[in-house]
Amino acid sequence: MNEDHDLKRTDDPCSRVSRRGFLESVGVGMTGIAVASNLSAQDAEELTEDAEPKKLSLVINGRKHMLIVEPRTNLLYVLREKLGMTGTKPGCERGECGACTVLIDDKSRYSCLTLAFEADGHDVTTIEGLVHGEKLGVVQQAFLEKDAFQCGYCTPGQIMAAEGLLRSNHDPSDEEIREGMSGNLCRCGAYQHIFKAVRRAAELKKEEGSA
Amino acid sequence: MLPKFSHVRPSSLRQAVQQLASSGSHVHAGGTDLLGCLRDGVFGAEKIVSITGIGELRGINSREDGAVRIGALTTLSEVATSPLIAQNYALLAQAAAAAASPQLRNQGTIGGNLCQRPRCWYFRGDFQCLRKGGDTCFAINGENEFHCVFGGSRCYIVHPSDTAPALVALDARAHIRGPLGMRVVPLGSFFVLPALDLARENVLRSGEIITHISLPPLAPGSISSYRKVRARGSWDFALAGLALALKLTGRRVDWSRVVLSGVAPIPWRSSETEKVLLGRDLNPRTLREAADAATRGAEPLSQNGYKVELVRGIVEESLRAIMESHPETPSERT
Amino acid sequence: MKQTEISSERNSSTDAQNLEPWTNPTVVGKPLPRVDGYERVSGSAIYPADLILPDMLHAAILRCPHPHAIVKNLNTEAARKSPGVRAIVSSADPEGKLVIPYPWWVPEGPPVLLFDQHCRYQGEEVAALAADTPYQAYDALRLMKVEYEELSHLLHAQDALKPGQPLLHNTGNLVRRPDTYQRGDLAKGFGEADVLVEETYETSCEIHATVETHVAVARWEGEQLTVWVPTQAIYEEQKSLAATLRLPVSSVRVISQYVGGSFGCKAELSKHTLIAALLARKTRRPVKLALSREESFLCAGNRPPNVMCLKAGAKKDGSLTALEFTNLGAVGAYADWADAAGWAAGSYACPNIRTQDTEVYINAGKARAFRGPGAAQSAWALEQMIDMLADKIGMDPVEFRLKNVPATHPRTGEPYTSIELRECLLKGAEAFGWTKARVARASSSDPVKRGVGVASCRWITEGGPPTTVIVTLFPDGSATLNMAAADQGTGTKTIMAMVVAEELGIPLQKIHVEHADTGTTQYGKSGGGSHSVMVYAPAVRAAAADVKRQLLEIAAGELKRPAIELSLKDGKIVPVREPGQPKNLSELKDLTRREQIAGIGHPPPEPKGRLIASFGAQFAEVEVNVHTGEIRVIRLLACHDSGRVMNPLTHESQIFGGMVMGIGFALTEQRVLDDHQTGRMVNANWHDYKIPTAKDVPFDQLCLTIDPKDAECNSAGAKGVGEIGTVPTAPAIANAVYHATGIRVTQAPISPMQMLALLAARREAR
Ligand SMILES: Cc1cc2nc3c(=O)[nH]c(=O)nc-3n(C[C@H](O)[C@H](O)[C@H](O)COP(=O)(O)OP(=O)(O)OC[C@H]3O[C@@H](n4cnc5c(N)ncnc54)[C@H](O)[C@@H]3O)c2cc1C
Ligand code: FES
Ligand code: FES
Repeated sequence: MNEDHDLKRTDDPCSRVSRRGFLESVGVGMTGIAVASNLSAQDAEELTEDAEPKKLSLVINGRKHMLIVEPRTNLLYVLREKLGMTGTKPGCERGECGACTVLIDDKSRYSCLTLAFEADGHDVTTIEGLVHGEKLGVVQQAFLEKDAFQCGYCTPGQIMAAEGLLRSNHDPSDEEIREGMSGNLCRCGAYQHIFKAVRRAAELKKEEGSA
Repeated sequence: MLPKFSHVRPSSLRQAVQQLASSGSHVHAGGTDLLGCLRDGVFGAEKIVSITGIGELRGINSREDGAVRIGALTTLSEVATSPLIAQNYALLAQAAAAAASPQLRNQGTIGGNLCQRPRCWYFRGDFQCLRKGGDTCFAINGENEFHCVFGGSRCYIVHPSDTAPALVALDARAHIRGPLGMRVVPLGSFFVLPALDLARENVLRSGEIITHISLPPLAPGSISSYRKVRARGSWDFALAGLALALKLTGRRVDWSRVVLSGVAPIPWRSSETEKVLLGRDLNPRTLREAADAATRGAEPLSQNGYKVELVRGIVEESLRAIMESHPETPSERT
Repeated sequence: MKQTEISSERNSSTDAQNLEPWTNPTVVGKPLPRVDGYERVSGSAIYPADLILPDMLHAAILRCPHPHAIVKNLNTEAARKSPGVRAIVSSADPEGKLVIPYPWWVPEGPPVLLFDQHCRYQGEEVAALAADTPYQAYDALRLMKVEYEELSHLLHAQDALKPGQPLLHNTGNLVRRPDTYQRGDLAKGFGEADVLVEETYETSCEIHATVETHVAVARWEGEQLTVWVPTQAIYEEQKSLAATLRLPVSSVRVISQYVGGSFGCKAELSKHTLIAALLARKTRRPVKLALSREESFLCAGNRPPNVMCLKAGAKKDGSLTALEFTNLGAVGAYADWADAAGWAAGSYACPNIRTQDTEVYINAGKARAFRGPGAAQSAWALEQMIDMLADKIGMDPVEFRLKNVPATHPRTGEPYTSIELRECLLKGAEAFGWTKARVARASSSDPVKRGVGVASCRWITEGGPPTTVIVTLFPDGSATLNMAAADQGTGTKTIMAMVVAEELGIPLQKIHVEHADTGTTQYGKSGGGSHSVMVYAPAVRAAAADVKRQLLEIAAGELKRPAIELSLKDGKIVPVREPGQPKNLSELKDLTRREQIAGIGHPPPEPKGRLIASFGAQFAEVEVNVHTGEIRVIRLLACHDSGRVMNPLTHESQIFGGMVMGIGFALTEQRVLDDHQTGRMVNANWHDYKIPTAKDVPFDQLCLTIDPKDAECNSAGAKGVGEIGTVPTAPAIANAVYHATGIRVTQAPISPMQMLALLAARREAR
């Protein structure tokens, strides 16, 4: 969780994607460490008026990430292109499909219409954050069991929407499930199985809670 | 992909108003409408002034005078699920719940919902239309299935908001902070017809921020409802909608507000319908006359004549439901 | 003696044609979760859009905003100097003249130039660039300056052949000679009819709108090109890329392990894939090119709009006497198919028929195959027409259809390997409570009217060669299945792994599927035409049988028993006479020495003189609010004969998915072009182009099946299921709307807007 640790992680050659993202935004030739010291030296000036990249820290799936991004960057882009967390999908980039759904402070939102800087100070949860080690989260498990997907491309977004729904409503009615899932398109038309999966997930969550 | 802009997130209203002083700056609340517009090049921005860091703009609370205050940053989800709103202003809760999609409601704010730009596909698309400074409204001779049947002139947008007609029906007021201080504008005079100004949909001047909405208490026993018709089950703007607030004695209408959505460039208050209803009993004849009154003066374009039928349909349907759930007026029985 | 027994066993198992469909399968037919489910639900599946290669660039395409224009001047200077830009390609480059070949199913058409200065559709590619980041690519794109000369445009098929209209190609606006089919004597048939009906039906242009847009990632290593692209047809794309770039086929590798939906729109080489390859070659860096949602609406395929004029006659007893079906379809700016009428010739047993399909060019994006291409549009017209006839003679629509179920293919006279259409109608009607639901209409004062409707369908599928599949078994009892098939969500990977598990008696978890990569798999047919299961299941089965034969031979040698006295169960060798003494594969020394056994399989040829087709009937119940025009589908039931159901879960997913698509086709989906002005598409986004959401599908959705136990179609006993599910849904809904309101809506979609206008027109007429 501490910053040092995460900056090192960012520089870890094994996580090439993050590192590349980092370098990309500060210019090739600098090392990650140099950037880090640079950053901590730079005062967090809240109201800098500049379209150029600036420093941002985000907490994603409980882990803090230090980044340098342009103000116009959306959260979807940071997740995918900067951090290599490609479970969150782009579908329209204008709030019309739901493939990019993530949780922000437990509420489902579209990461395409969320500027990365607007996620600062909030907890972001992505599809990757629902997996515990190798074990699927209960909503993921339910989607798998009920075949609640076909091509699977809308699926991470559907699962995050379901997770958000179940975090605020432990025992949704059929109508509430349908309403709760109405912000995610599925062109494969898996809705029927998605409804079943959400019901199943609610059961599994209950079992998990009582266990 | 979004074009370049700068982004500031002040923590006080004062700072925010200052930041908005420079030209090309835009308020960012939930960002769900703003970012869509910027991405599609509907307008440009030099600077985004995010007001999400200003705590005082959040929340719903009731005041001593019985009024309710809704902070501009309150999300549509919060409005839709607030017990305070549901109990006192059912139609607002219904309208908020009927907007957009769950995720957009979790993010979109009531302030932003009132100030969102029109959804006309020429305005949003790659067309240099009148409202964007061009010289034609493409809707006049073009694909105008979703355009207005009331209040159009030169430009034929409809106002996209679901909460706006509800708030107009509730006699709500917008509290606005700007470089010159505070002002209060009744929602009924907040929106602007194209005849008055082609470039904007409301009276906000640059640098102004809605801080909150206040709702006067509805007379006890009032009933209200919001009915929205859309082409698709969710995630869709109103083809037409009806925000209705009534005070009844038995079936007699003592007071009413009838505001239509999806049919005009502003939430369309139908005073004629209110006049028809005033003092009358809800019965099949009143219903028909009310529906007629609601459609009077409609000027459909080539493809949106159905909206006239639709207005008639929802006015009759909503009033009928109320009629059927209320006992006949006592005076009549005796 | 023993020798001959072994060799006869060998013969029968290598000869895949002799494999009979399983009688009591233990894995096949079970509702098993998908083998790649974990990847898909955990977010760890890597779709081409997710690929991040070292040093990768991002490309974007400049597109013509007009439906018809000439590029007069293109200035890329400012873009070239924009930060991060590494390369630009345009018509100024020799590559701009490259010609994209048509896929094999479109035999000919005008040449498709990569960057044609004569732009024939909105969104036509004008130039492209690659930059370090996607943001930089789009920033640079905004700096490109183009001068267009706008030409007058043609948007409607009905205008295409009229004089004075703009000509899209110097060959004219006609795509190909109209296709006409005739049998019997039409005039005589109409003369024999007791009732005649005539009607014109129209369908709207429907966009595939897969949630994953089209994407390509291209990388060169020397003269070797690798392309990651979501596609149903890796070998088709490989061949086309190689031909366009004049490379040996072996120098092009196409990989498509995860496809985010296709429905036909990702099965041929697209310009953006070629552009990614060219930019990658110019820069010597990998390039990713992901289309935006708007681009995918404009130029990544569609179901063409059709205008269909029908005339039909029937006798009072319900037998069809004559059908005339004339279709006019608009393929868009380049050659493809927009047929519909021809399909109707094979649907019902009608002695006198004439069908004609005419296809024309218009200034809009080119069509591509779209789930049940032609058949869905044809059914919209024909299945409503059947209802009109039934209505006119006062016969129940189910009964009317039963009367006209063909015994053989009405067009060719060939018998089907199996046909359970009759059963589908009967069982479906029974389960739906059809007879009761037909009677129980809402009371006349209630503004919400209820109605029910039915439609039936048929889809011909072809399996057969060429396709090669390899199954490899390891001594630890695990196996690899290697095949070309992609899995765009249909469940092909899962079903084929189940076939291996069935045949080799090893658990599904121990089977790895290596697929959809021209670099590592053998040629296999593309996943289209609903034939994946029919092509691949017999091939996989044959490959697995080949492995089994070799394995039993090894075991026979080691255990000194004839092979036929051995069987393979739960991954162990079990002597038939001593089932209590199984032997682990790892105990077979010869197997360990060989390291693995590889079996090869091909699908046997199609049965001769027989047709293979799937059939089905669907039932819909709707509510129509006559005050508001709102239409709600409250119940859908499908009863299908698609042969053996390989996996009920994925089968149901296919049928349900098809039905949901049918709801969109029936009620909401429609490309809108700015008709009288710019000719541009005004709803190239997911808000204004409306596909069904969770709130548009009924909770009450049911899928019943009938297994004809078809032993002739192939060794799996399975027929196609991918497309047929969407074919009857829309007309069943339209028929239900008619039943509810008495209004026949001939034009798709039946939006509330149209419904209200029709209701008002009827009120006025009264
Ligand atoms: C796909 C889609 C479907 C939708 N469907 C519906 C629908 O059916 N019904 C409906 O009502 N809405 C619908 N919406 C609109 C959605 O509800 C609005 O986008 C949302 O409410 C706007 O809130 P926001 O906080 O995100 O606004 P922002 O995007 O942050 O702002 C919108 C505009 O208002 C201005 N603004 C915001 N807050 C203030 C303030 N406090 N003071 C002054 N100016 C301000 C901004 O400068 C900007 O111009 C839809 C949106 C999308 C993307
Ligand atoms: S990508 Fe965010 S909603 Fe479609
Ligand atoms: S599973 Fe393919 S889009 Fe939903």
